[in-house]
Amino acid sequence: MSAVHAGAEFALPMALAGGLALALGGAPLGVMLIARRMSLVGDALSHGILPGAALAYLIAGPDPVAMTVGALFAGFIVAGMSSLLARTKRMPEDAAFAVFYLSALALGVLILGRNANAEVVFDLLFGAAKGLDATALLVSAGAATATLFALALFIRGFLAESADPVFMRASGLPGGLLHLLLMMLVALNLVAGFRAFGALMTVGLMMIPAAASRFWARSYVGQAGVAVLISALSSGAGLILAHRFGAEPGATMTLTAASLFILSALVGSNNGLLQNLPGRTHLEG
Amino acid sequence: MSLVRLHDLTLGYERRPAVHHLDGAFDEARVTAVVGPNGSGKSTLLKGLAGALAPLSGRVDRGGLKPSQIAYLPQDHGVDRDFPMTLGELVALGLWGRRGLFGAVTHQDRHRIEEAMRAVGLSGFEGRALRSVSGGQLQRALFARVLVQDARLILLDEPFTALDARTSDDLIALVKRWPSEGRTVVMVLHDLDMVRDTCADTLLLAREKVSWAPTEQALAPEHLLTARRLSEAWSDGAGVCNRDHAA
Repeated sequence: MSAVHAGAEFALPMALAGGLALALGGAPLGVMLIARRMSLVGDALSHGILPGAALAYLIAGPDPVAMTVGALFAGFIVAGMSSLLARTKRMPEDAAFAVFYLSALALGVLILGRNANAEVVFDLLFGAAKGLDATALLVSAGAATATLFALALFIRGFLAESADPVFMRASGLPGGLLHLLLMMLVALNLVAGFRAFGALMTVGLMMIPAAASRFWARSYVGQAGVAVLISALSSGAGLILAHRFGAEPGATMTLTAASLFILSALVGSNNGLLQNLPGRTHLEG
Repeated sequence: MSLVRLHDLTLGYERRPAVHHLDGAFDEARVTAVVGPNGSGKSTLLKGLAGALAPLSGRVDRGGLKPSQIAYLPQDHGVDRDFPMTLGELVALGLWGRRGLFGAVTHQDRHRIEEAMRAVGLSGFEGRALRSVSGGQLQRALFARVLVQDARLILLDEPFTALDARTSDDLIALVKRWPSEGRTVVMVLHDLDMVRDTCADTLLLAREKVSWAPTEQALAPEHLLTARRLSEAWSDGAGVCNRDHAA
């Protein structure tokens, strides 16, 4: 795989800025997904963007803008169709996602089939440092800005819809639209990271810090803040390691996040393992 | 005067009726109990009144009530106990009708939330995480949310199940006050003593109406016996109901 050899060849400052943008946009979404018990939806969506990117590759070759637009388009379709199917209450949302993302993945494989080598598929899923260019940075920054703006604007609706969907539906909240918006933001952030870090590794940067943040804070806002911090640390440290040792940045970033998760699970102030060792004193009330 | 009218209402799932051809009206500022054996359509009726389930046929006339003026506490409340949210924030969801997605929460709103939490005996619990409170405390908070919501129609589905005596006594006292505030309450209950004590009217349901009258009259022994017989008549091979066409 030549993608692996391309590891160290990227401009570190630009990559650090891109990683920070992904942390700012992706981590708060990750916290929301975990709170809604939809941890694997990011994973599903990251496969779902494949046919769009593949079709763009087929039409325009390895053009970054075309592949980004194609991936975004496919992501929106998978997110939209899955949410719509789940809303009809014919099946649970994870089942709807399974149907659509696997179909999308198969379509992507079919499109790429004879028209590209394994390297292209590998790059799409796991990233290639050579994808870290000005376009990638611009897309990441744009996605982070759009995400934070949408979260700030609709946070009340997102939280209400997540905590008590039955009540909010009865109160006339446009829950379906908010849910769709959330899924589209997830797709947008995955697309923002997929060329540089790979669709799967971008999910790692979104979900693992979010999971770790539960060991530090109780409220959504607190968890989102901690998740951004852990995600930024992971991307920063991961990129520096990748640059230094010529490794693939998507992988080093995700593994750094995983290490910080283990650390959080052990020493976290909110229900960390060390807090609950047998024999520890308990509180008065 | 009636607040909500049912016109030949049939509610159900996958074309099978759970509530069949129901006519009648819920009077304003009254507490009406919905009583009947398991599977008699009580919860389904409440869902239909709340607008959470579309009728298979017939209609519900809510007299122009907006969704935010209807408070609905389903039997298995949909609150995700694991969601990172505090009891105070859960109660504040009751502001939705007035503040919507973007409206600012005023000083008066905060005062209203505090008052509601005090009324249900939850003062000082505002900051408690949902996952750390008991079932009874959560039910008290849901009642506080109804207070904040200031709803005109309140639909409660077995609201006192699994609560200790003190909690249910406190909450029943709240319910009894609501008619004097002009609120209409429809409440699914199993405990007939509680129904006699709390509810002016009773709808005895067994998929169809057995009796809908002042409580003592509705709960006459012959009506209760009829309800039990009717609810057991359910067939897997049911044909198409042709009462729709006859009407």
